[in-house]
Amino acid sequence: MSLLITETNLRSLVDALVKDATLVVGPKLSGSVVLYQPLAAGDDLTLDELPRRSAKELYFPVCEDILTYKRENGKLEVRDIDRSRFPETVLIGAPPCDAGSPSILDAVFSWDYNDEFYLERRRKSTIMGIACTKGDDACFCTAVGLAPDAKGGSDLFLTPLVGGSFRCEPVTEKGQALIDKHAGLFSEGAAGEAVAFADQSTGKLDLPKIKEWLNGHFEDPLWESIADICVGCGACAFICPACHCFDINDEGNPDSGTRRKHWDACGFSKFTNHASGHNPRDIQNKRYRNRIMHKFKYYDDKFGKTLCTGCGRCIRACPVGIDIAEILDTINKKAEQG
Amino acid sequence: MCKSDNIYLPHLATIEAIVDETPDVRTLRLVFQDEAVRESFSFRAGQFAEYSAFGSGESTFCIASAPTRKGYIECCFRSVGRVTEALRRLEVGDTMGVRGPYGNSFPIEQFYGKNLVFIAGGIALPPLRTVIWNCLDLRDKFGDITIVYGARSEADLVYKHELAEWQERSDVRLVKCVDPGGNGPDFDGKVGFVPTVLEEAAPSAENTIALVCGPPIMIKFTLPVLERLGFADDAIYTTLENRMKCGVGKCGRCNVGNVYVCKDGPVFTAREVKAMSQEF
Repeated sequence: MSLLITETNLRSLVDALVKDATLVVGPKLSGSVVLYQPLAAGDDLTLDELPRRSAKELYFPVCEDILTYKRENGKLEVRDIDRSRFPETVLIGAPPCDAGSPSILDAVFSWDYNDEFYLERRRKSTIMGIACTKGDDACFCTAVGLAPDAKGGSDLFLTPLVGGSFRCEPVTEKGQALIDKHAGLFSEGAAGEAVAFADQSTGKLDLPKIKEWLNGHFEDPLWESIADICVGCGACAFICPACHCFDINDEGNPDSGTRRKHWDACGFSKFTNHASGHNPRDIQNKRYRNRIMHKFKYYDDKFGKTLCTGCGRCIRACPVGIDIAEILDTINKKAEQG
Repeated sequence: MCKSDNIYLPHLATIEAIVDETPDVRTLRLVFQDEAVRESFSFRAGQFAEYSAFGSGESTFCIASAPTRKGYIECCFRSVGRVTEALRRLEVGDTMGVRGPYGNSFPIEQFYGKNLVFIAGGIALPPLRTVIWNCLDLRDKFGDITIVYGARSEADLVYKHELAEWQERSDVRLVKCVDPGGNGPDFDGKVGFVPTVLEEAAPSAENTIALVCGPPIMIKFTLPVLERLGFADDAIYTTLENRMKCGVGKCGRCNVGNVYVCKDGPVFTAREVKAMSQEF
């Protein structure tokens, strides 16, 4: 016997959560593209395609206030942001490549110094992952160790069944709590046949081998032309579920304003530019090398994880056709040749 | 502010004094406004902080004063961008923000009983000046202290009063220099580039630690000189100053290969620097 939820009840679940004043975020059609957005009602939920942007902004918004300051009676006061007001959030309908990203990012936002902006949002969120049945040519999750039915990062996991219902498996206590609270919407029954998972015919990459190659090839002809055509737009970083680089800037004047943390990208020329004008990554190829190294070596060196979920968004979004999966495949081949 | 768990909240500090070191390099002496912070704030030589001019943002500099000098901290910066220019517009009595201290530090206790050679170029004296005063304040714990400091021109030498003080002291050997063409008729130092002047000064490597800080080009030419003088890579320390934003290992830009300057550094031995991916 499995736990099942019909599509109608899944939409009712969204309605019930919204009624509970929970922020429910899921794939929703916005104009002509599907994006993760707050759902006003269950009918807003669209499970037909992978959202154009990743779900990371639930925990790591594009831009967020980290403090405000104001001069009153001549004295400057700094005020913290009230994080207790961050809403309880349920992310619904995230495929493994999105549901799995927070469990990668938790490491960087909680080592040594805790980024409570990220962590408070994480604590207040429940992730309903869903098995992926909508992959395309750019997907390569299996190549980086994930799978269309990988449950990592999800608190509960839905598997679409032929006929429109979903098998629902609690993965964490949080997930079980959500099921318990809305038990009436779930039923026990014989799980029917699952809808075929997204085609993941891409070969598996040997990540340890790739890393080993990266360890010894900071200098290599590969890097000399790898990003000759890169326009440095940063799209690959912004739509990535795992890229976490950010900048901090003030908005306001010396008497009142807000300090904000906002996304940044290692592909931008000013990212590492020193005040003196000296730039350690002075050309795009060095910046792209850093992108590959950070995802497949440095992050692993530090946290034992790969900073990529294989969602393929950077491949789809790149205006000049740079394909990270192809690059990894090239490195994989070089690694095999030794 | 210190009771919050918001790692991005700065302490507020009042500018107590301003010293113009050169036409565009300025020292600010800062006193924390909160009494509890004044009492509790402690740091080690080599650590850095994020300094903010509200409305313009934050900038990363070392703490340039010595941890042995209590009650205040100092920063020293050249006005070259939005934040540093905003910091420069502040006056004595004005408020700014300070987050830190961050990063590792010079293992000064390990230098006890040894001779020290400080080698700095231009605006890179402040990160060593904190160590110099730290050591001078504990003078009897160290052997000979040599300071080789150079800048492009006489006007570009920072901490001129302190250079004069060091020159006067019998327990410090100061070798100051300016690049050829940077000297006026009355300049009492040497004319030449730091690596060359260092080689001429030829401090003994015997039981000696070298501390080097300067622009990448100076470091590049200084390391071979130290090697020729007999310094082992483990006896040479430097501090790297990459662009940073968060200061706490999250924002992703200060890395040299897999080494995060903000967390693993900024202080490294020459051996550690040589082992890094060469991306400086």
